[in-house]
Amino acid sequence: MNMLLSEEQRDALQELMNISMGQAANSLARLIEAKITLSIPKISDVTPEQFVSMLSDQTVWYTRQSFLGSIKGEVISTLSKQGCDAIGKLMDYQLPLTQDRLNELLLELANILAGACLTGFAEQLSLNAKLSMPTMYSATSQHYHYRWASTLMMEVEFKVEVSQFDSKIVICLEEASVQTLLAKLQQLLE
Amino acid sequence: MPIPITIADDSLMSRKAVRRALPEDWDVEITEACNGKEALEAANSGKAEVLFLDLTMPELDGFGVLKYLHEQQSKTVVIVISADIQPEAKLLVDSLGAFRFLQKPLQPAQLRQALFDVGLI
Repeated sequence: MNMLLSEEQRDALQELMNISMGQAANSLARLIEAKITLSIPKISDVTPEQFVSMLSDQTVWYTRQSFLGSIKGEVISTLSKQGCDAIGKLMDYQLPLTQDRLNELLLELANILAGACLTGFAEQLSLNAKLSMPTMYSATSQHYHYRWASTLMMEVEFKVEVSQFDSKIVICLEEASVQTLLAKLQQLLE
Repeated sequence: MPIPITIADDSLMSRKAVRRALPEDWDVEITEACNGKEALEAANSGKAEVLFLDLTMPELDGFGVLKYLHEQQSKTVVIVISADIQPEAKLLVDSLGAFRFLQKPLQPAQLRQALFDVGLI
């Protein structure tokens, strides 16, 4: 499935993502005072078609944010519709959540998780990547525009068991950034 | 006599990071384990006077290893090196008798300090 990466590179990327998601989970865990379960990060190659097909799950909310710097790309966060109220409560939001307040909560969550994931990842590789503010994304009302033919996708999942809430952070690199990333990775592995 | 130590982590890169962080002049015999089961095998066969232990591993995770060693009243000195740095993970690790909890990415100075504190270097 993955032709781009050697086993050693894949292992390294997985571990770097694992470390950055640990930092992200710690930020959120301290905020909501609940334990967060981490997945093993998934690293894969995707085509735009595969990528777009991921954006049509009706059980989750989507947010998007782009990042610029020595590596460029986009972060998609999925946040389960289930459990949003419970998380909102833990974060001192007033219930029931209005649509505006819900969006605010989702964007805040996406920013905490995606921000820590991307920053932690880039820092470990001495790369810089500045993340824009997230916006809500709906596959039914917006057409997804892509500028790449295939790319590297890194996916991690956070579960807050006590609230039955889960969130996935998907980092997609632009094609040109994959080479930058692999070069840095090589330095780390030498 | 070299000290038998085991590095348990499913990531090759992280095992290398631990190797690189060890004091150069420290006389050790290193065993590597890719999961918790291998870590316990190493401990049970006297290959882990010191065990550098990751928490999230396949087969048997680091908590499982700690629990077993704790129940056996093992003399293995366990230094946990973890990407999961949530307060709850630290508390659990402490309650299971680990000597130190170090965060990933591993800072070599912290690892050496831990070895110094336990009286090994």
